[in-house]
Amino acid sequence: MTKLHIKATKSSPEILLDPTTHQHTLKGESYPENSLEFYREFFDWIDAYIDTLEDTQEVIFNIELIYFNSSSSKVLMDLFDIFDDACEEGKSIAVNWIYNEDNDAILEYGEEFAEDYENLKFNFVVI
Amino acid sequence: MIDSYYKFQQHLEREGIMFSFVGPVSHNVVEGVGTVLRNKMELEEVSMNVSLKVFSIFIEQIQNVIRYSADRIPQDNFESDISFGMLIVGEKNKQYFLIGGNRVTSEQKERLNDFLDKLATMNKDELKQFYKERRKAQPDEHSKGAGLGFIEMARKSSEPIKYNFEKIDNESYYFTIETVV
Repeated sequence: MTKLHIKATKSSPEILLDPTTHQHTLKGESYPENSLEFYREFFDWIDAYIDTLEDTQEVIFNIELIYFNSSSSKVLMDLFDIFDDACEEGKSIAVNWIYNEDNDAILEYGEEFAEDYENLKFNFVVI
Repeated sequence: MIDSYYKFQQHLEREGIMFSFVGPVSHNVVEGVGTVLRNKMELEEVSMNVSLKVFSIFIEQIQNVIRYSADRIPQDNFESDISFGMLIVGEKNKQYFLIGGNRVTSEQKERLNDFLDKLATMNKDELKQFYKERRKAQPDEHSKGAGLGFIEMARKSSEPIKYNFEKIDNESYYFTIETVV
């Protein structure tokens, strides 16, 4: 697999998916014009990646969003659903939920996600 | 007409309105105005929490106009449609208020009214559960987003959201919604 790098815009985050380091990042803001369309390439990559992933390989997914809208919240849920299922099948994936100490809403939404998943682990990282 | 605009601006200022927009809304307007709004609050040293709450309601409200307004020029995909509506942001008595308005069909009005009535009965915990529930449900073709935007607005608002439907003719209503932070 090859890396996927999409640069940030005002309303969409930087995406950096790296199959060699297995450290992936979603960073910035997310309120694109059409979230399904914007994230299509991202999900195609993730699906293919999970298929080839060894159980022993540790994967870190960094989520460092300052703001995301309700459609993007649905996108994040779809992503965590995929990770949670993969973890249940024996994969080792963890989410680093990175938030600014003054941004209560992001922390709260991260905690709300974390309480919904049994297999996927969330680490909260304050910056 | 030319001599009435200064009065118009003074009127807006007296009402605490810092931004008002009536016309065609596209994603460029969302990005542009959203950024200016945030920069302005940053300059005024509004806390990150408050400024992100205002921004969040602004985005959901304006994206709702884009999705729901019955006055629209269709493009290849609906989210690129040019939709007509109104958006007002203001500050009064140390509170921010956001008002959105657009025309809806009678059929939309029924659905929207029921949904907003339902939200109005919920406390913050119930809104949180309902948000999660609707997020899990596949959006139906009418709502184009399972009403998540309205639930988000209700969660961020410090007072129950106000809404109104004013009859235009047999087929349509003017829908107005007001949120306070």
